[in-house]
Amino acid sequence: MRKRSLRWIFWILGLGIAVAGIGLWSLSVGPAQISFKEIIAFMLKGGSSTEYSILFDIRLPRIILGFAIGGALSLAGVILQGMFRNPLVEPYTLGISGGAAIGVCVNIVLRLNNSLGVLSLPISGFIGALLVVLIIYSLCVRKGILKIQGLLLTGVMISFVSSSLIMLIMSVSRREDLHGIVFWIMGSLEEPNWMLIKVALGISLLGLIVSYIFCFNLNAFSLGEEEAFHLGINVEKTKRSLFIITSLLVGFSVSVVGIIGFVGLVVPHFMRMFAGNDHRILLASSFLCGAGFLIFCDTIARIVIAPMELPVGVITGIIGGCLFIYALTRKQNVLGGK
Amino acid sequence: MRKEIALVVTLFFASLVYAGEDIPKRIISLGPSLTESLYFLEEEERLVGVTSYCLRPPEAQEKEKVGSVIKVSLEKILSLEPDLIVTTSLTDPKVIEKLTSLGIKTVTFPEPKNFDELCEQFIKLAELVGKKDKAKKIIHDTEERISFITEKVKALEKPKIFIQVGAKPLFAASKDSFMNDFIRFAGGINIAGEALEGLYSREEVLRKNPDIIIIVTMGIAGKNEKKIWERYTVLNAVKNNRVYIVDSYKVCSPTPLAFVETLDEIAEILHPETKGE
Amino acid sequence: MLEIKNLSCGYDSKLILKDVNLNISAKEFVGIIGPNGSGKTTLLKTITRLLKPRTGGVFIDGKDVWQAGYKELAEKIAVVPQGFSGAAMSVEEFVLLGRIPYFDNFQFFETKKDMEIAEKCMNLTDTFKLKDRLMEEMSGGERQLTLIARALAQEPELLLLDEPTTHLDITHQVRILDIIKKLNREMDLTVIMVLHDLNLASEYCDRLVLLSGGVIYKDDSPENVLDYKIIEEVYKTMVVVKKNPISSKPYILLVSEEGKRR
Repeated sequence: MRKRSLRWIFWILGLGIAVAGIGLWSLSVGPAQISFKEIIAFMLKGGSSTEYSILFDIRLPRIILGFAIGGALSLAGVILQGMFRNPLVEPYTLGISGGAAIGVCVNIVLRLNNSLGVLSLPISGFIGALLVVLIIYSLCVRKGILKIQGLLLTGVMISFVSSSLIMLIMSVSRREDLHGIVFWIMGSLEEPNWMLIKVALGISLLGLIVSYIFCFNLNAFSLGEEEAFHLGINVEKTKRSLFIITSLLVGFSVSVVGIIGFVGLVVPHFMRMFAGNDHRILLASSFLCGAGFLIFCDTIARIVIAPMELPVGVITGIIGGCLFIYALTRKQNVLGGK
Repeated sequence: MRKEIALVVTLFFASLVYAGEDIPKRIISLGPSLTESLYFLEEEERLVGVTSYCLRPPEAQEKEKVGSVIKVSLEKILSLEPDLIVTTSLTDPKVIEKLTSLGIKTVTFPEPKNFDELCEQFIKLAELVGKKDKAKKIIHDTEERISFITEKVKALEKPKIFIQVGAKPLFAASKDSFMNDFIRFAGGINIAGEALEGLYSREEVLRKNPDIIIIVTMGIAGKNEKKIWERYTVLNAVKNNRVYIVDSYKVCSPTPLAFVETLDEIAEILHPETKGE
Repeated sequence: MLEIKNLSCGYDSKLILKDVNLNISAKEFVGIIGPNGSGKTTLLKTITRLLKPRTGGVFIDGKDVWQAGYKELAEKIAVVPQGFSGAAMSVEEFVLLGRIPYFDNFQFFETKKDMEIAEKCMNLTDTFKLKDRLMEEMSGGERQLTLIARALAQEPELLLLDEPTTHLDITHQVRILDIIKKLNREMDLTVIMVLHDLNLASEYCDRLVLLSGGVIYKDDSPENVLDYKIIEEVYKTMVVVKKNPISSKPYILLVSEEGKRR
């Protein structure tokens, strides 16, 4: 077992270094060519030139936000997959993104941005997400017991309903509002407000730390709710707490950056393949891998047809989708080879 | 006396300097109509960046691209070191916020709802670059041409018109768009003039039975839509073969001059008898 | 050590168990038998606190199970389920899950003691040699042994087994029950086992509790419970009861419809 702890430590270190590397790479590429030496110089001495501004006012906030959101979404994905014991579950399965989208649409159509200031958009999204969470929760609790299968079905239904509602709002809205809604849905790591970025980082990291309280609970959960109960786990409290944690992580992520898919689905899968199913390693490695993945995809979105930018959701979808298919075929081969 | 002269001279130079400081030297335009307007105002030398959609005038395509209208590269913009950025309502509001927070003067021009607003914006743009007088002249000429057209058609019978700006679902140009002004000036009645912007039902179009249908969508979609209308042979417009397709680029993001050109075209569509006048 | 008093419980509006009273002392090896639907599984669920009683209560060492903490209960009672449906993991990792009730609040890794206990439990169930194999690769019999090993890792005073021998061949049926019997004798482990197979119950259990229609029909030694009149009354089918020539335990013979006519 000491071998295992050593393996874990190397794994986390390795991932950490990889993420740092991706971050540095992301910092150094873009339509404005800035050499590595210059970057190091800027980091040590600071400056106020255009290049400095590009690096630290444009690229760096995106990298940090990508770290926070990629980590949050992957963490939510791995927790949900552990709770539902279903590998196809991802952060948006619960319908939370639908709620956030409706909140944002309502805000845009009612022009709340103008009257309440620029933070009202993510706040509306967050409130929308929370409302959906409350609805789902109250629909799925019977006699104090949270029915997991009910969550899945209710979440999918709510996703459908909110898509329709959003289309309704879009069809009666003005052209300018339409653009606003579509932008938001496309998902973007561009966020002008540093405060929001810092809050996102804080919430992600907090989510990671808090989720570790439940790492053994999640391990036990993999055997089923009844068996986890027999192992002394307070199953209801665990379900509730994990539900709240993931709702916060997803609700907040979606309100700030819109809908960026696949990160929460593909990353946990890959981590299970390479790091195993023990949540002690799975939580942190999914977080780190997701963070790196999103930064990577966002960088590709920035540079592949520069100066045109692709929506980051397009890249995560394509790369994530291909990786997912690859992972599935590998699994098939392993099973078939037996 | 000397004190007064000194004061006046100081003020004069101060105003020069002040005015000089005010005039931006490096402009980036994030909207095709704004780009075109800047060329009309003869500001093309100061224009350092445009979007990939800025196709008119053709010279604009030679300028550095900073992205599409919907998604721009902040980095590219910054690297061009602009001191003025003009955007439309199509630009991502977050991008506008970011640019402002970086200390770059960013001015947004929302979509004009009618010709008057179009002119107002043109003048506002001209003010930003210190070419107000030139703008006023262009507007004046434009208004003259428009009066010419409205005079021409004043006494003529006003045909009923339906302008379609979107297919699947059917979108009409309502009174809040300056396309309504096209109809107004060209001497027609917009059957969708009472509706709030947005969806329109085909049934309603049949009920109102316009004499002319103008389709403003690009390329193939326009031809498809024409074929769809031609199925409804009860429509006057179809019976008299008066279903037209108009280039949306011209119609959707015009400058005052483009407005007049398109207005000419539309007036001819509405009143073919005035052609050549 | 286990007292069930006036227990009535069920699901929704239906009562499954009606006024059940049962007293089990330490080190007993008890088999719960009865036809389908008689309430065997419901009884297990009530003992492990998965189901709340409508009336009456369940007491372990004098304490109401509903007053005990989650971990406290898991350290006293271990349940061996019928199967394994978890994520991919090695046998050793699986057995170590049984140590979860003993982890401190901020403990992250298993302690040396945990590892030793896991090893001991695997040795007791003869599964130590499988410790690095994956759970899904196990055969039915091997898997059952690992399930027992995991339950043992909880260091329980009471071991509950729900149909531990279904789907197993006779080799493994005997092997597993032999091991459980040994644990009962040598480790002072109280065992309660739900079984369908009346003959296995007779062969291994010191005491049989026969449930019928949600009440205890007979609670006594196998010789007294496995009387043909009682079995026919409860199971509504013709049986013949003989004595096992080697172990002297009663065994049940079934008679087919055809066989009766001969």
